[in-house]
Amino acid sequence: MHDIAQGRRKFVLGALGVGAAAALSRIAPVWAAPQGRNFKDQVLTSDVIHLDIANARMPIGHKLGNAIAINGQMPGPLIRLREGQRANLHVSNQLNEDTSIHWHGILLPENMDGVPGVSFAGIKPGETFKYAFDVEQYGTYWYHSHSGVQEQRGHLGPLVIEPKDGDIGADREHTIVLSDWTFADPHDVLRKLKVAEGYYNYQKRTIFDTLDDVSEQGLAKTWKQREMWGDMRMSPRDIADVTGSTYTYLMNGRTPDDNWQALFSPGEKVRLRIINGSAMTFFDFRIPGLEMTVVAADGQPVKPVKIDEFRIGVAEVYDVIVEPKSAKPFTFFAESFDRSGFARGTLTPQLGMSAPIPARREMTERGMAAMGMGSMKMNDNSSGMNMSSDTQGSMQNMDKMSGSGHQSKASAHSHANAESGALPVENITIEHDDDHHGAGAAMIAKNPQSRLDEPGIGLEDAPRRVLVYTDLEGAHPWPDEREPSRQIELHLTGNMERYMWSFDGVKFNEVDGPVNFKFGERLRLVMVNDTMMDHPIHLHGMWMELENGNYPRPRKHTINLKPSEKVSLLITADAPGNWAFHCHLLYHMEAGMFRVVNVS
Amino acid sequence: MKNINKSILLVGTLSCFSTQAQVKPEWPSPVPEIITGQVFFDRLELTRTNARENRAVWDMQAWYGSDYHRAVFKSEGENTQNDGKPTDLERAELLYGYLVSPFWSFQVGAGVKGELSSESNLEEYAVFSFSGLAPYWFEMENSLRINKEGDIQFVGEAEYEWLLSQTSYLQPRIELVANITDSEKYDRESGFSDIRIGLRYRQEIAREFAPYIGVYWSESLGNKRDKLKRLGEDTSEKGIVIGARLWF
Repeated sequence: MHDIAQGRRKFVLGALGVGAAAALSRIAPVWAAPQGRNFKDQVLTSDVIHLDIANARMPIGHKLGNAIAINGQMPGPLIRLREGQRANLHVSNQLNEDTSIHWHGILLPENMDGVPGVSFAGIKPGETFKYAFDVEQYGTYWYHSHSGVQEQRGHLGPLVIEPKDGDIGADREHTIVLSDWTFADPHDVLRKLKVAEGYYNYQKRTIFDTLDDVSEQGLAKTWKQREMWGDMRMSPRDIADVTGSTYTYLMNGRTPDDNWQALFSPGEKVRLRIINGSAMTFFDFRIPGLEMTVVAADGQPVKPVKIDEFRIGVAEVYDVIVEPKSAKPFTFFAESFDRSGFARGTLTPQLGMSAPIPARREMTERGMAAMGMGSMKMNDNSSGMNMSSDTQGSMQNMDKMSGSGHQSKASAHSHANAESGALPVENITIEHDDDHHGAGAAMIAKNPQSRLDEPGIGLEDAPRRVLVYTDLEGAHPWPDEREPSRQIELHLTGNMERYMWSFDGVKFNEVDGPVNFKFGERLRLVMVNDTMMDHPIHLHGMWMELENGNYPRPRKHTINLKPSEKVSLLITADAPGNWAFHCHLLYHMEAGMFRVVNVS
Repeated sequence: MKNINKSILLVGTLSCFSTQAQVKPEWPSPVPEIITGQVFFDRLELTRTNARENRAVWDMQAWYGSDYHRAVFKSEGENTQNDGKPTDLERAELLYGYLVSPFWSFQVGAGVKGELSSESNLEEYAVFSFSGLAPYWFEMENSLRINKEGDIQFVGEAEYEWLLSQTSYLQPRIELVANITDSEKYDRESGFSDIRIGLRYRQEIAREFAPYIGVYWSESLGNKRDKLKRLGEDTSEKGIVIGARLWF
């Protein structure tokens, strides 16, 4: 992408006048002006960038919400920096509570990382904290509060770092921040999750679903399936903890009805910087009629991958290139992964146009792999295991749910890996604590699997190319090519009944110290998801190289683990100090799924 | 390899044993422990019995605390209209609960039961309770009560829920009372004493408020049944209920 001639980058001013842009800015951040990148005035690029954090009553759809605005905007302003510069960011707190800003995905000194209680004391009301650090990377990142549940009120914004040569690899770019908004007090949302399991889930199984299953697949199979889920006291429809029943899904702060618009000229190469700034929502993003080429994941360049849809976990970032040839509008469609709602915008050659909005898909149910019985699924064709009738039944059910063939494709893929050099994680035997991680863990994955080649729940049978983690390949090798000298294993654990989330069954307030990395060492982090939920796990201060079988490995700041999945990541512990390490689902983090990593 | 890793982690953990989870004690915790509570009326209902009595019934629990440690208050009772008798308090218990496994908590505390009038003596007892979610989503509570005389009584309750839609439920419920020992003072004989089975249809207005209608059937068992028969009293009762399940 760097090789593109400078001359190709045209800074075309859009067709829209400044007045019209100002009118739109009343309901959304001004950086999200339809012209995109070229609308330079709305972007913060000065030597010292001032960010004022304040409460604001903001119109969201047809209602006023209690947002936290940054410089009067929600989401906050687009901060644009350049690789190699010194960043000076002065954050003033005009709230009546402590606040903070964490620069998500940025490598910086520990005292600039912005996590109260880990990197600093937080920013008291009325105080200004002066962040200063050298910018030694480029790409698409974001920033957000790391204080309590402020992020849910919109305390977040995009952070774009241009490469030294200024080449964005496209003629135009748009930044798309996806978020989930609730008019409820986020503390109230957390309390409801704590006291009333399933409060926001309006897609639970009813007895009629069971009756349908009986008529479709017979009583015996249905009984077996219900028995397995019932025995575990888990629901196959527990996809998202907080859903469209309270959330309005936003694209650059605008509701689907507001229809955020992004301009393009036919034939242009448009870079979309897509950031999932949600508190709790994974989105499936697609642009019907347009192929997308993924060029960066979590800000870091990857070899181009052509796809039609991708799932973006909370806090993940993808950069894609689209090249619309014709002068017609295209819909940005970001559907929440439990299908309870969507965010939407339009890529359009001129303002006021819109394209059809796709129908939302049906929610699918979790299958056997979620229970950590993946290998049985692979074995049941050949071996006469006791479980084979059960697994067969469930497998057929999964095939029914997921169209057909994908599961077998996934297993075939795993087999192929086993023959042609398995992923490191596939040769790592996972052991659980003798007490199965105690009362904080309601399940253990009996047989965790690598699931990097699966697109995730609800996308198994998508009739289009969906990005999977095994598609990602780093654009170039990373500096540290040492083999890991040590391995650390962490289990993702939880108890939905009391909404307890943790690592290794212990919540943050129960651990007696940090996870220790030795300064300078190269280590392998193995994570096992012993829960029925997806978790986006974020390490501050250091990159995680995903061992997905590709070389160079893709670098991630946030890695999503599917239920009963095991993954391995390589980390160079080159950042001395204390760093947060946590699930980026806001309420999971608040409920205890948080650790401090100490590098010394 | 695994053991080596564990020992490395263990050594690492011990070496910083003195440090708190957060980095500096004067800094706030990045993730403070969540302390919360709930007041929950499982049943708040009016009953019409087959003996044409009208009865008001409550069955509630309240708790406050953390994930593992909770203070729990339970209260249950009924008042029959125009029968000239005081309100019958079936239980008022204050307990400490500890989460012993992912789905079960063990509770210990003290309670009182009896008629709420100035003359009557309330029965005071110690109570041990094991409550939680059994496999297949049976919500259960099993309590043992021991009074000052050493009389032991068991009370077990189980509830299940069928979802008819995302906001309507059919809830069967069973309650069983058994006396482990005889009680002279409170006129109880050992053996099964009562069983009550109910079925309620509930329609949620909000998650926090759901009116319901239902039926129940209760039957006296064993020695109690024989005694009631000797006295010529009813050993069985049926009724319809209308009420609401609510929490805040």
